[in-house]
Amino acid sequence: MTDQSLEGAPPIRAARLPLRGIALGVAALIALYVIPDALSNYWLRTFISAAALTIASLSVSVLFAQVGMVSLAQFGLLGVGGWFALRISHGLGVPFEIALLCAGVSAALVGLIVGLPALRMRGLYLAIITLMMAGAIQVLISAFGFPDGGPGILGKSTGARLMMARPLIAQSDEAYLRYAIVVTAVCYLLVLAHVRGRPGRAWAMIRRSEVCALAGGVDIVAYKVWAFALAGFLAGVAGAVLAGGVGQLDGSAFPASQSIMLFALTIVGGAYSWFGPIIAGLMLRAFPALLNDFRVDGNIATMVFGIGLLHALITAPHGIAGQLSDLTGRLRRALSGERKAGP
Amino acid sequence: MIEIDDLTVQFGGVRGLSELTARLPEPVTGLVGPNGAGKTTLINVLSGFVRPTTGRVGIDGQDLSDIAIHKRAAFGIRRTFQNEQVVENLTAADNIHAILDNVPTDGQPRAALIAQALEFVGLAAKGNVLGRDLNAYQRRMLEIARAMVGRPRLIMMDEPGAGLAQHESEHLRDVIRQLHGHCGAQVLLVDHDVDLISATCTATLVLDFGSAIAYGATASVLAEPKVRAAYLGVLEDAT
Repeated sequence: MTDQSLEGAPPIRAARLPLRGIALGVAALIALYVIPDALSNYWLRTFISAAALTIASLSVSVLFAQVGMVSLAQFGLLGVGGWFALRISHGLGVPFEIALLCAGVSAALVGLIVGLPALRMRGLYLAIITLMMAGAIQVLISAFGFPDGGPGILGKSTGARLMMARPLIAQSDEAYLRYAIVVTAVCYLLVLAHVRGRPGRAWAMIRRSEVCALAGGVDIVAYKVWAFALAGFLAGVAGAVLAGGVGQLDGSAFPASQSIMLFALTIVGGAYSWFGPIIAGLMLRAFPALLNDFRVDGNIATMVFGIGLLHALITAPHGIAGQLSDLTGRLRRALSGERKAGP
Repeated sequence: MIEIDDLTVQFGGVRGLSELTARLPEPVTGLVGPNGAGKTTLINVLSGFVRPTTGRVGIDGQDLSDIAIHKRAAFGIRRTFQNEQVVENLTAADNIHAILDNVPTDGQPRAALIAQALEFVGLAAKGNVLGRDLNAYQRRMLEIARAMVGRPRLIMMDEPGAGLAQHESEHLRDVIRQLHGHCGAQVLLVDHDVDLISATCTATLVLDFGSAIAYGATASVLAEPKVRAAYLGVLEDAT
């Protein structure tokens, strides 16, 4: 309509797509073949946990980056998912995949309950109430423990503790790491399908402001509930992947403080980037293991995380992933600038 | 047609609107009045953010109190905001798509509707640009594009002209004038800019202290002495 419409042509995407596809393909090959092959047993198990924690961090980032809600209960939901996975796997002897899905669904239902206050509360109050939910889950888990092959609803064994059955195609640690990476990729695709689709647009409106969402006809209640259910599902799947990796879970491993740690490291890693949860997963599990490898106390990691969080809050609101993409952007601009100046 | 019957809105001890009754049938209607006269309150009642204490509002014979807030967009009540509400992490096209998700599209392909709306407000080349990369003027035009898709009945604009440069303001006038013919919606325009109101609105409603003090053809209403006293007088004091 005016000459203004001519400024800033749409970015040309066609030229960039194959490059990105190739990069992703190479990364997938490295992740699936090179890394599992090259690792010792200790590092294989570490990376299996890191994959599970990546999914967990993804669930935090869905709520925080997409909808603008803070949930401090996600690590507790990991425990819920792990509990149901173990219970169903030991009790019914079903294949791992079914236990995985059941874990996701049951954690999604619990996640819904956690999310109910979200319909009324925002910001700090929502964070506090979800933290209390995490505390409640912690109390239940430490009181009842995790199923380990015994009879009854709680499935506690008095004799030898059974290990959870792994998927048929992934019995060894190496194969299971590949399996966990594929599950993580599927979770990413699930989130991507949401973000690119109708829920993603509705969440973006809600995050902008509830007034904006209402005026745009968004059913805020339904989409907030849906976000909490999706995040719960992801946390449950993460719990099942963790349970399958270790074989059993420890009742003391799911304190509410871990939920805070998960949230903090998701911020440090970068909640707004797809890469952030991977960084968070690696920091939560691989970094302490690395310190142990160097014969440094793994607990020092906690101090580093604290410094990292301060750093993120003060200078890098988009986390490490945001800084990395800033860096690559700057490099790309520098390179293209040189090319322009050259001929 | 907007039907307002005996509408009172009470905020604690303050009356936002006081027994307001009006029929607004014109395709483009202006809504003016000094600060605190109840213009935004009236818009908020129509969009459902404020519940009337007594009285009712209706559009084309349909009582709005039966329609939940989030269903009013699909019914056809749209608005732009005084503080723009463009979603910064969606592209301009997705900003419109987010509205199309919730309103009737009459079976037309969404991509075409989006392209049409962007073209109409002059943002045809900005479809892939993120909301955060648009300037203030482009954001206002994008809000209008969002409001005009999917069978709107009433588009309310809360001070769309604030802070625009001269040539931008002229473009805004063109868009507002063509809006009714383009999508069939009635337009209700709140603004302090008397030039913008006179250039676009066939009729104007003047509010003061929550009541209507004048309604009629824009030029004659703005010339009335009591309007000049209430509205323009205050404007002179303020500047």
